[in-house]
Amino acid sequence: MRNLRTPIFAAGMMIAAQATAQPDAGGFDPARIIEGAVDSWPTYHGDYSGQRHTELAEITPDNVHTLTLVWTFPTNQNQSIKASPIVADGILYLTTPDNLWALDARTGRQVWQYRYPENDGFHIGHRGAAIWGNSVFLTTPDAQLLALDTRDGRVQWQVEIADAARGYWSTNAPLVIRDHVIVGVSGDFDNLPGILKSFDPATGELQWTFYSTPPAGTPDSISGGATGGQMWMTGTYDPELDLLYVGTGNPTPVLNGVARPGDNLWTCSIVALRPDTGELVWGFQVSPHDTHDWDAAEVPVLVDAEFEGRERRLLLQASRNGYFVVLDRESGENLLTRPFARVNWAEGIAADGRPIPDPDKEPARDGRLVSPDEAGGTNYRSPGFDPATGLLLVSAADAFGLYFYKPEHGAYGWAGASPGVYSRGHLRAIDYRTGEIRWSHELHGGPGTAGVLTTATGVAFTGDSASSAMALRTSDGATLWHSRIGRVGNSPISFELDGRQFVVLGGGSALYAFALPRKLVEQDSVSRD
Amino acid sequence: MNGFRILALGAATLAVGLALAQPPGGQQAASPAADPVPTTRVPQSYAPELVAAGSTIFAAQCGFCHGRDARGGAGGADLARSELVAEDVRGDRIGEVVRSGRTDAGMPAFPGLAASDLNAIVAFIHDQTRLAQSEEGGRQSVDVADILSGDAERGRAYFEDNCTSCHSAEGDLAGVAGRFQGLRLLQRMLYPQPGAGPNAARTQSTVAVSLRDGRTVSGTLVFRDEFALALRDAEGRYRSFATSEIEFEIDNPLAAHIEQLSRYTDEDMHDVVTYLHTLR
Repeated sequence: MRNLRTPIFAAGMMIAAQATAQPDAGGFDPARIIEGAVDSWPTYHGDYSGQRHTELAEITPDNVHTLTLVWTFPTNQNQSIKASPIVADGILYLTTPDNLWALDARTGRQVWQYRYPENDGFHIGHRGAAIWGNSVFLTTPDAQLLALDTRDGRVQWQVEIADAARGYWSTNAPLVIRDHVIVGVSGDFDNLPGILKSFDPATGELQWTFYSTPPAGTPDSISGGATGGQMWMTGTYDPELDLLYVGTGNPTPVLNGVARPGDNLWTCSIVALRPDTGELVWGFQVSPHDTHDWDAAEVPVLVDAEFEGRERRLLLQASRNGYFVVLDRESGENLLTRPFARVNWAEGIAADGRPIPDPDKEPARDGRLVSPDEAGGTNYRSPGFDPATGLLLVSAADAFGLYFYKPEHGAYGWAGASPGVYSRGHLRAIDYRTGEIRWSHELHGGPGTAGVLTTATGVAFTGDSASSAMALRTSDGATLWHSRIGRVGNSPISFELDGRQFVVLGGGSALYAFALPRKLVEQDSVSRD
Repeated sequence: MNGFRILALGAATLAVGLALAQPPGGQQAASPAADPVPTTRVPQSYAPELVAAGSTIFAAQCGFCHGRDARGGAGGADLARSELVAEDVRGDRIGEVVRSGRTDAGMPAFPGLAASDLNAIVAFIHDQTRLAQSEEGGRQSVDVADILSGDAERGRAYFEDNCTSCHSAEGDLAGVAGRFQGLRLLQRMLYPQPGAGPNAARTQSTVAVSLRDGRTVSGTLVFRDEFALALRDAEGRYRSFATSEIEFEIDNPLAAHIEQLSRYTDEDMHDVVTYLHTLR
């Protein structure tokens, strides 16, 4: 049943000099991602910018309270939906660990389901799929990458991204750029080099590997003995600069910083890479020498806007360490660093914009009370950017955690203990120009589990920490609508079909599609006579 | 404007300095016995095949948070040191948590897990506990002595200045160190989980609701979000309200603990927990 093609290239940097693969006629052409059609949501973020913003304007602050359910799709899985679905040509692709469903985006009806064989990789979550031609790509808990036929779910090829036996797994939603399908992995419980790989979407052939922490024995390693820095979240892309932006994970061993002195580049960083080669153009480290599990894997949001009087190509990130950063995405220069959640782990901000870790807040034998906690000031669910107001809406947590490390914990994997103490979730609107919090909306519980979608009409879709999907007014955070569909665990998406704007979110383990109500007949003329 | 600040810590305590100065694998303070692994109340044994099956399912479904070996992972508890696991008999306690989850603590529910898979997981957890009871330390262990780096006398002074409007060393906290030690005592000191433990009732929020017609209802807060609020009144009746239709006031007895979290220095925290350890 499987048509496996093992890549013939060994891992390592190499130029993809092969002829550019073109998707089959009739399939999804990745050029459409740049064109930005409103009838689709073709990447994890919807487009390449990571703004999670739709230009669709049918749903407004005035009518959003009338939203009605169009369809529901229960996955019948144990865990909640964490994936952002993608949509192309009327088909919605939804993933959970080991599963990919192709659904009719109009009706929620299942077109086909692919089930990956049982395996013992971590089944902690899945972020989503990617599409190219007649292929939809799925990563697996045992770190494989599959190309499935968009028409029937048949396996076209399967390749290993990384060796699951060494402790790698993947929850990653790949990013397709031209003829590259770019995938990352996870692996915090073992000391493993951080890798990002690019494969040929037509064949599964390996094109290049980028190491955030070069493997042992690599000359000129800059990581200071650290491993880790896994790139487990989907990056963003600037087609004009031809730069791919990816957030890298925390170093390993996770809590033992003694074993890996120095900054541990390029862990907890934003890196800018050439999509054709994996070549590093620049990097900015959001957390130097992290000892708290605060990866910088959160979405690097690309915005073209004025900053201090100049029109600039910006990159915004609300990072897990509690700091919001603004970078010039051409040069990597830091323009702003400011906390958006409670932080007590830095002594200040260095001239280059990086927070300076306070050595007294590193994990210690007797424990340190640190903000944020291990789950972070935010986590991987997407923020939403609203170009009209310049607000980045972020699920934030003011949290306290305890951090322990002693030599007996060793220097492998977690190497310490980091129990949480207390955490409260808020949706916060950060003004990208200053880092100021314009408003903060309490989520009534622990850290939020929902991402944010903004619309051109000033509506923001998200979820609270209890059991509701919500629509807020982007400008001031006022609640406009809610529906008790269960706790939203993913980042909402929006697309248009038949002239109707759909908003799709996960509530628990089911997917829900909402739209404005439609009159089916001229109701004034029905009845009576 | 949002109260953000970077806490400027005073000089580190001598104990902190010593802990940081310790070279890895170098000389260590004499380590007393590890935080005792609770003894399983009812000895249980499971077929090796069941334990092996449980190991696979556990690693895939639970391993990220609890560790592949159930000894702690990213955020989840070390199950070999769990009181609940110690009290469990063939899944009677574990099963409930797995099925219903503990959403406030981040533990997802697995209502659809097959009974055979649950049995295998239970077997694996008990087997790991059995192994843990025969070893010391552990990958993520926090020993009682690790925590006690503070000055009990300073801790007593801090306690008297900050805690005595609700607590008393001779009253509710008399003998507290006999009930909780080490990390568990520290966690309860910082923030006792509401509605859990021996003083569950004392940690629960109460609420007074005023209805539009002027009537008032009060009771123990059961649920609250932006849109709804539920309570259990003195007669044990469950009542819920739309928050838009009422006025209400919540009294959270843990509010002082939450406020205190922002005020503790690490030195204060260790002083107070060291003092509490003297209340035997």
